[in-house]
Amino acid sequence: MFVRAILEMRWTRAALACVAALILVTTGASAAEPRRVLLIHAFGHAYSPWSDMAGSFRADLVKKSGEPIDLYEVSLDTARIQNPREEAPFVEYIRTLFLGRKLDLIVPVGAPAAFFVQRHRSELFPATPMMVVGADQRRIPKASLSENDTAVLLDLDLPAYLRNILRVLPQTTEVAIVVGNSPVERYWTSQFVREVVPTADPVKISFLNDLTFDEMLKRAAAMPPHSAILWFLLSEDAAGVPYSEDRALDTMSKAASVPVFGMGDYQLGRGIIGGPLMQTQALGQQAADVALRILKGEKPSALNPPYVVFGAPIYDWRELRRWGISETRLSSDSIVQFREPGVWRQYRWQIIAIAGILLAQAAVITGLFLERRRRQVAELELRHRLMEVIHLNRTAVAGALSASVAHELNQPLGAIQSYAEAALLYLNADPPNVTRAQQILANILRDDQRASKIITHLRGLLKKRVESEMQEFDFNDVISDTVQIVGPEALKKGVDLSVHNANGALPVRGDRIQLQQVIMNLAMNGIDAMQGCGPGQGKMSIKTSLTEDSAVEVSVADSGSGIPPDRLNKIFDPFYTTKGHGTGLGLSIARTIVETNGGRIWAENRPGGGAMFCFTLPVSKAITA
Amino acid sequence: MTKVTPIVHIVDDDESFRSALGELLSACGYRISLYETAKKLLETPLTGSPACILLDVQMAGLNGLQLQDQLSALGCRLPIIFISAYGDIPTTVQTIKAGAEDFLTKPVTRERLVEVLERALARHEAIQAHDDEIATLQSLFGQLTPREREVFALLVRGKPHKQIAFELGISDRTVKLHRHQLVQKLKVRSLAELAVIAERLGLLPERKSDWRETQASR
Repeated sequence: MFVRAILEMRWTRAALACVAALILVTTGASAAEPRRVLLIHAFGHAYSPWSDMAGSFRADLVKKSGEPIDLYEVSLDTARIQNPREEAPFVEYIRTLFLGRKLDLIVPVGAPAAFFVQRHRSELFPATPMMVVGADQRRIPKASLSENDTAVLLDLDLPAYLRNILRVLPQTTEVAIVVGNSPVERYWTSQFVREVVPTADPVKISFLNDLTFDEMLKRAAAMPPHSAILWFLLSEDAAGVPYSEDRALDTMSKAASVPVFGMGDYQLGRGIIGGPLMQTQALGQQAADVALRILKGEKPSALNPPYVVFGAPIYDWRELRRWGISETRLSSDSIVQFREPGVWRQYRWQIIAIAGILLAQAAVITGLFLERRRRQVAELELRHRLMEVIHLNRTAVAGALSASVAHELNQPLGAIQSYAEAALLYLNADPPNVTRAQQILANILRDDQRASKIITHLRGLLKKRVESEMQEFDFNDVISDTVQIVGPEALKKGVDLSVHNANGALPVRGDRIQLQQVIMNLAMNGIDAMQGCGPGQGKMSIKTSLTEDSAVEVSVADSGSGIPPDRLNKIFDPFYTTKGHGTGLGLSIARTIVETNGGRIWAENRPGGGAMFCFTLPVSKAITA
Repeated sequence: MTKVTPIVHIVDDDESFRSALGELLSACGYRISLYETAKKLLETPLTGSPACILLDVQMAGLNGLQLQDQLSALGCRLPIIFISAYGDIPTTVQTIKAGAEDFLTKPVTRERLVEVLERALARHEAIQAHDDEIATLQSLFGQLTPREREVFALLVRGKPHKQIAFELGISDRTVKLHRHQLVQKLKVRSLAELAVIAERLGLLPERKSDWRETQASR
């Protein structure tokens, strides 16, 4: 059988420092001789939990010792070897190591190492004190220790592991225990079977010791709901593959579909939930204390150090979070480690700054919204006011035209009266002339319709509206409508009104009544401007045309005195008037209406005298298309 | 009053009002003649009497007032009744001043229309009779010799024969002879009747003249 031994000697850096300091301070030859301590590992120095115990012990010993400590560490793989007869070379090796050197303390770490030393105690420096560290009290009975021996032992409370799982996850129905297949691990499997399984019911306990690690991972990944994994010890799997330093725990924890619990504090942070744990730190410290007392000359067998038991339960905050376990489930003396600082604690100022910015932004946005709302309300109000002013202007114009309108109404009304009286006369005649009367009644009907048309038209002008009414129409019709109302006024004022409509339709989309108002305003202005003209001199011409860039152009020209050139730009301003009785709003409103309907309005003087007001409107595409 | 049916010339550019008025007046028993414009009326010779013109004040082209001026210039003496849809004071005053017979405002009732028409026609008839008389007198007066007219002028001013003879440089006897001739030619029986003729013919310059006669003598 091939035996592989890893032999290692180590001078710790701390020890060197201590030695150097002592050399400088002290002078005596005996004081310069360091205290030699031999640590014996059974698995190799990097196997948990023994490496963790040794680390803690080492650090504490060096720290607490007033004398230089010369630490030797020997790592054997004997724990995985079944046959003790092959151990002779190791014994020989250690003896050779300390030939001519005084050894002060032998420290086997873990039960296998203790067994090795106990087996060879007679050969391995029987006069040197031995201190067993990190074995369980089940493995090293007091009776097996000689006068020169002592032990800092653990007392693993196996049922406490299950209790903890059930406390944290009360619905657990199955617990798979990860344990390896080396002799020491098989021992613990049997201990579980004896101490935990009988009282576990109804929780089902299974052991993964007969699986390779890959198989264990598959099992872990396929664990049913309401189950848990207890990672106890895995130094070597069923295939004999060694796993040092519990690196395998990280892999398992990541792969597992259920929470993973552990056995020792050294596993915390590697993916276990936590709970009551074996205390490697405390063990190391206690062992260091005992070692120092032995080094000072106390008799080992008299020391009787107490067992190292579980401390307060310790949990990994991240794992609790990962599995959604509430901290209220933990006992009140629990310690929660790896608590990530809250986002608030970590990014407090950033959060305050961002929140501040957001608040400021929100305030600005709200402000803008309010402002927008206010502006909308104001715009609506403005539009209504404008509509009111436009309407007032229309009523004013209609008022100014009232005499003409009365005249227009009087024509059909006068006709109706005359017809009616004629019809009466025909019907009262002897014999009654019924045929004639019938003709007359037909005429009465026609004139009545004419009168009602005038009234409808007038009502359209006087009707108060809140919003513009957009519609499609032929602009020539608007001219006809307007002339019907303005015509009599022109006649009355002695103005010769002529209309030149463009050939063909002038499709326009806009507010028909308002656009009619524009022409009325312009025409009334023109008529007023020609009041000073002699009889037969007042001539007004209303013309419509389609321009080359497809716009409807309307011009209202008069033969008055024209507009002073310096006022051409001002006449569309509100409250600008040259008339004694004007409001100065007519042209301003005309401009507003034209611009609202997408057009442009301007004034110019005619070469032959008189003013000409023109405006354009876009041709409606809906009709032309 | 004559039994001849009067003619009413209706001038109105509003077709329906014109025809309605025509319908009513023909139902009332008048003869009617319709004109769309004042120009058309002027182009038509206005014969026949009695007659009158119903004229719309506001018309495109030649308006009522201008038509009235032109008719006067043509020597047409037909009474003109204005009809207006306005009936405002300036127009009324202007038309009456220009010699309108009457002024009506649309709509007009039959009673009012007939009343105004009849009055106008009656007055026109009276004027026509008066005019005939004047014409007769004028033709008689035209038969006088220049010397007889001079004697007539002094006689109607109430001058005695001697002063007439002195002013004209003729003998008293010659004056008497001319006076006799005058009375014969003018078919009067007394000096007072001579004065009436002089008054009718407007040969008494210091006397206040009736406006219609002044117009006639113009």
